[in-house]
Amino acid sequence: MNLAQMQPGQTGRIREISVTGPMKRRLMDMGMLVGVTVRMGKRAPLGDPLEVTVKGYRLSLRKGEAEGIAVEVAP
Amino acid sequence: MRAGNTELGYGGGVGTGALAARAITIAVAGNPNAGKSTLINAIAGTRLHVGNWPGVTVEKKETLFRAGGRKIRLVDLPGTYSLSPYSEEERIALDYLLHAKPDVIVNVVDATNLERNLYLTIQLLELGIPVIVALNIYDEAQKKGYRIDCPGMAQMLGVTVVPTVATKKKGLDELIGAAVAIASDPQPHQPRELHYGHDIEVAVRELVKQLARRYPGLLKRYPARWLALKLMEGDSQVMQEADLRDTGLIDSVVQHLRAGHDEDLESLLADERYAQAAGLAREVVRKPELRQREFTERIDRVVLNRFLGLPLFFAAMWLVFKLTFDVATPFVDWIDAITSGPVQRWVTVLLAAAHASAWTASLVTDGIIAGMGFVVVFIPVIFAMMFCITFLEGSGYMARAAFVMDRAMHAIGLHGKSFIPMLLGFGCNVPAIYATRTLENPRDKVLTALLVPLMSCGARLPVYVLFAGAFFPGHAGTVLWSLYVSGILLAVLMGLIFKRTLFKGESPVFIMELPPYRLPSLKGLLIHTWEKGRHFLVKAGTYILTVSVLVWCLLNLPWGVEHKKDSYLGKAGQIVALVLAPLGFGNWEAASSLITGVIAKEIIVGTMGEIYAPTVAAEPAPKAPSVGAEIREIGSSFAGAVREAGANVFSTFGVSSMALPEEEGQGALREVIRGAFTPLSAYAFMTFVLLYMPCAVVAVAMRQEFGTWKWSGVAVVYQTLLAWAVAFCIYQGGRLLGLE
Repeated sequence: MNLAQMQPGQTGRIREISVTGPMKRRLMDMGMLVGVTVRMGKRAPLGDPLEVTVKGYRLSLRKGEAEGIAVEVAP
Repeated sequence: MRAGNTELGYGGGVGTGALAARAITIAVAGNPNAGKSTLINAIAGTRLHVGNWPGVTVEKKETLFRAGGRKIRLVDLPGTYSLSPYSEEERIALDYLLHAKPDVIVNVVDATNLERNLYLTIQLLELGIPVIVALNIYDEAQKKGYRIDCPGMAQMLGVTVVPTVATKKKGLDELIGAAVAIASDPQPHQPRELHYGHDIEVAVRELVKQLARRYPGLLKRYPARWLALKLMEGDSQVMQEADLRDTGLIDSVVQHLRAGHDEDLESLLADERYAQAAGLAREVVRKPELRQREFTERIDRVVLNRFLGLPLFFAAMWLVFKLTFDVATPFVDWIDAITSGPVQRWVTVLLAAAHASAWTASLVTDGIIAGMGFVVVFIPVIFAMMFCITFLEGSGYMARAAFVMDRAMHAIGLHGKSFIPMLLGFGCNVPAIYATRTLENPRDKVLTALLVPLMSCGARLPVYVLFAGAFFPGHAGTVLWSLYVSGILLAVLMGLIFKRTLFKGESPVFIMELPPYRLPSLKGLLIHTWEKGRHFLVKAGTYILTVSVLVWCLLNLPWGVEHKKDSYLGKAGQIVALVLAPLGFGNWEAASSLITGVIAKEIIVGTMGEIYAPTVAAEPAPKAPSVGAEIREIGSSFAGAVREAGANVFSTFGVSSMALPEEEGQGALREVIRGAFTPLSAYAFMTFVLLYMPCAVVAVAMRQEFGTWKWSGVAVVYQTLLAWAVAFCIYQGGRLLGLE
């Protein structure tokens, strides 16, 4: 499952980040690292981008990037 | 209570002699939204100097003041989350820290979000420069029930920690005092080295040893441990700067690290840094068990709501637009009335007294003063726009606006935040260009600025009104509407074209924090607004004045020509007319008007008036009132402008109708124009005016924002070609359809 497929309110752990290059570094700098817990928040009214809570703050990213982040949803 | 006016007790006595004479440089670093701007504004007050970092579009704020008997230079680094080489802001910050070697780094940290903020702190500590942590937004953290162990944090990081509340000016004197004390202390203040775990530490030590042996010069320029870490990370900027010929050196050291961890080293180090940050945050912060639903979340439930999000966004945008232009307009009119009325008259009197020749008098009044008038009338609009934009950014709504709008804007290669400049473009393109600074990515900024001039601004309206009134009296509204929509559609088209040509392969990043909502301080807003307005006046003013004088020369030289056709402008118009012939308005009158429209498009109407119907312009000069009376009049009309602006603020919340402004005294001009154009060529002409090159002020604004004439040039060329092509299609297509 990837981050973009998570439902609002669901919590999951990042399993793998297959985004590459500057985008990956940017994600890492913002705290999106393997093993980190994220909570899916809202989607924008037009469906993209999405909002997640990570490291105690809220981050928005586009669906395209979120699809490159594999997550394991907490039961 | 400004730091500059307060002589601080501590630190002052330490520095003596030469040391005391040198200014202390303090670099202020921190995450965006950590309250860095507020902190700088609070310390600097009106002494804040806002400029740009050399060669880039990123804002640089600086201030000089005295505290503790020492001269202090405070330099604000761009807000960053990290010091990696992937964004302009981060490159600038790192570059400054490495090469300008400030005495102290003040790291502004958001106390309500320690973990992510400490990630940057950890990177700052590695630079070997003394660091002071300003634990900002401390009051909010306390209100949330966080208990932060400041002495513990100071001890763990090996730095001074000062709790601050920038919005209330708390802790700022202590902060500056601590900085002065550290800078004046002959003892070195080395921050503590944080450990990356055994494997990495071994590799770092080995690499430092090798570097010391092979490249001793490098270690003189860069802090050793930091350099080793950056080289292991494969930081492209550092690699390039250090210019290591032997990259095998690094490979041999990190080989077993790579083998032992399947992640790349860059991720590994980022992991370690976040682990340190998380550990530190866990150690020093005690959070309450029960977390209340926060203020920000409650607002966002409405603001980002699936159904309410967009309507609320449009309502907010409408408010920004109305406030910007409705509040500014009375002041624009007031300034315009002064420069074209009393100032012109006074100067004319002075020139007459000095026995100036007729052409000097004309140059001064019609060229220079009119040119200055063009510059100053923009000030109210730019002030009002900057105020709104700064408020949106400071409050946290700007990020939401981008979030809500990004899907739509992304479709044409833009960013969610591009919407605001585009919208402001309908009022005036000039503030719209300045509003592009709200975008972080240089690509997004430039692309947005290139499309902004396609938004039909208010200055083009008088041209439409004149032509639509003359040729389509029953359907003026429809014609106007069609022009505005054409502009938008062409912007979409050009956006798609630029995305695939000029900006091919550059993928914009949209990884953005949604910061908590906060109320920006009025003082900070005013300082920022004032600085921007002042900047515009000085920088843009010079260029626009030059253009104005040039156009005056075109229009009036050779001096004393009987007919406008014989002026340089008329001659230039005759040449340009040849190019315009296939568009249906290949006459020198239209061409000359278009040339003067380069200053500002509403001038086209004025020039047409002068050329087509010169008799209309000649009105008997009224008896000049006395200077005293005029000054009183300026004062009372200013009061009137304030009242009107105030009334507009309130009427903004009501419903106002968008009526076509009625121009007076254009009857004669309309008659002449009806003879010179057909309805088809008139429509082609209006389209041409909509699209052809941005006015001089817009070109100058682009130059100022991007530090190069390149993008102004691109805009001038592509728009003029586009205007020609579209007008050509309309006119020739219309003829084929037998519309003429």
